[in-house]
Amino acid sequence: MSTSYSAVGWNRQKVKYDWLIFSFCVLYLTVFIGLTVIFIPDYTFETVLIRSTSTLAVLLLHIILSIGPLSRINKKFLPLLYNRRHLGVTMFTIGLVHGAFGILQFHSQGNVNPFVSLFTSNTHFGSLADFPFQVLGSFALVIFFLMAITSHDFWLHNLSPRIWKTLHMCVYLAYFLIIMHVMLGVIQYETNPVFVIILMIGAFTLITLHVYAGIKEAKIDNQKFNLQKEGFVMVCSVNDIEEDRAKMFCIDKERIAIFKTNGKLFAVNNVCKHQNGPLGEGKVIDGCITCPWHGYQYLPNNGQSPPPFKEKVSTYDVKIEMENVWLNPMAYAEGTERPGAVIEMRN
Amino acid sequence: MIKPLRKRHLQIWITLAVLLPIGIVSAWLVVPQPVKNHLLQPASSQALPTVLKGLAQRNPFIDIRCNADTSVLQLEWVSRTELTFPSALIYQVSDSSKGIIDGEIVGRVDMRGAYHFPLKKNPTTKDFHFIIYDIIHHKIIQRINF
Repeated sequence: MSTSYSAVGWNRQKVKYDWLIFSFCVLYLTVFIGLTVIFIPDYTFETVLIRSTSTLAVLLLHIILSIGPLSRINKKFLPLLYNRRHLGVTMFTIGLVHGAFGILQFHSQGNVNPFVSLFTSNTHFGSLADFPFQVLGSFALVIFFLMAITSHDFWLHNLSPRIWKTLHMCVYLAYFLIIMHVMLGVIQYETNPVFVIILMIGAFTLITLHVYAGIKEAKIDNQKFNLQKEGFVMVCSVNDIEEDRAKMFCIDKERIAIFKTNGKLFAVNNVCKHQNGPLGEGKVIDGCITCPWHGYQYLPNNGQSPPPFKEKVSTYDVKIEMENVWLNPMAYAEGTERPGAVIEMRN
Repeated sequence: MIKPLRKRHLQIWITLAVLLPIGIVSAWLVVPQPVKNHLLQPASSQALPTVLKGLAQRNPFIDIRCNADTSVLQLEWVSRTELTFPSALIYQVSDSSKGIIDGEIVGRVDMRGAYHFPLKKNPTTKDFHFIIYDIIHHKIIQRINF
């Protein structure tokens, strides 16, 4: 968690995840190329490679974009989220192979620089039917490139989470560019409607997942708490919170997570310092609140990462009256020790 | 995620929910229709049964054919080898001194094969005069007189 560069911290899960991605890609490309050789033997090697890598990259992009909302809808998908960046870099690499062979096949045979040819060979920007779709794909690839090279935590710390997140949200623009790249490219001369149908199903699924997850989150954000007393608001009953888990509440535009652990309740800011992950969706492991996204940890009583790490989150006062949980949304400075609220055991 | 970021995500996807279908449908609508098999000249018809007039030359083999009562006439053109010109129009003229300006297009030949072009019957004469004209180089290839 320092700002110095460190290589990927490989662990068993990361290795397994990456082998799974690698195996899937190899299997997909093998099957695609094999079927093409059998059923359409006239295709050149370059064409088969361009087509197989393009379909694989688009498929991976859809998987990547669906992981976020799926994890918010169902926690079982969280393991997919941990190393999503590995999947993103893989997708970029495959997209790069597609782009490189595209340039090689369509722009390298003339006497113009292939990259100049890419942007000048077709200038029908005013026509939808003849639109230079390769330019759209190129811009998307540039976005994926920037995302891939800044995907390491080194850049997250150096660029600041705000800039890093803004840059990585450009993936949505890239997704739109990719869809239009396909629609204005191969779809214009591919008579089989299966491609359009698959693309439409993919886009519809992503839109549905994101909008559904977004509305679900907005409901939590807009929850009203009417009972207030001496700066505290009543949020829930003690029994509503599971042991070593949390419930999140949005008060005054701030999400606060109340954890129940070792017979006490503790309230901390819900936003992880690493990548703004939702701490309230994590659990207490080894006495530490553990972020569900990348495993960053904080002590529940003071919001500090255990030494030698230095991340800190804000803490809040919480109390229990008649089994009702009361929360004071006034934040203490990050890392401030709070006693928490003792849960009285009833016989 | 923080609240403004969650809100921005939702706004982006609502925007995409509008833009993506518009983009996909618009692109789908401009997909060019498959080219229909339109010939530049009428499909070759069957040869009429009777040869009315013929030429001595064998390649291309050219003759005038007709039906039993000679009410329907036809120019038959059969090239057994590749043509020595890229494309030619066949004009029918009223006499051998006329040029293509006075003629009427009977049909076009562009490659080896058999062609059958319908002819109009000329009530004033039993003779037939044709000009084979190279439309690329703008020159007369051959005059044919029956």
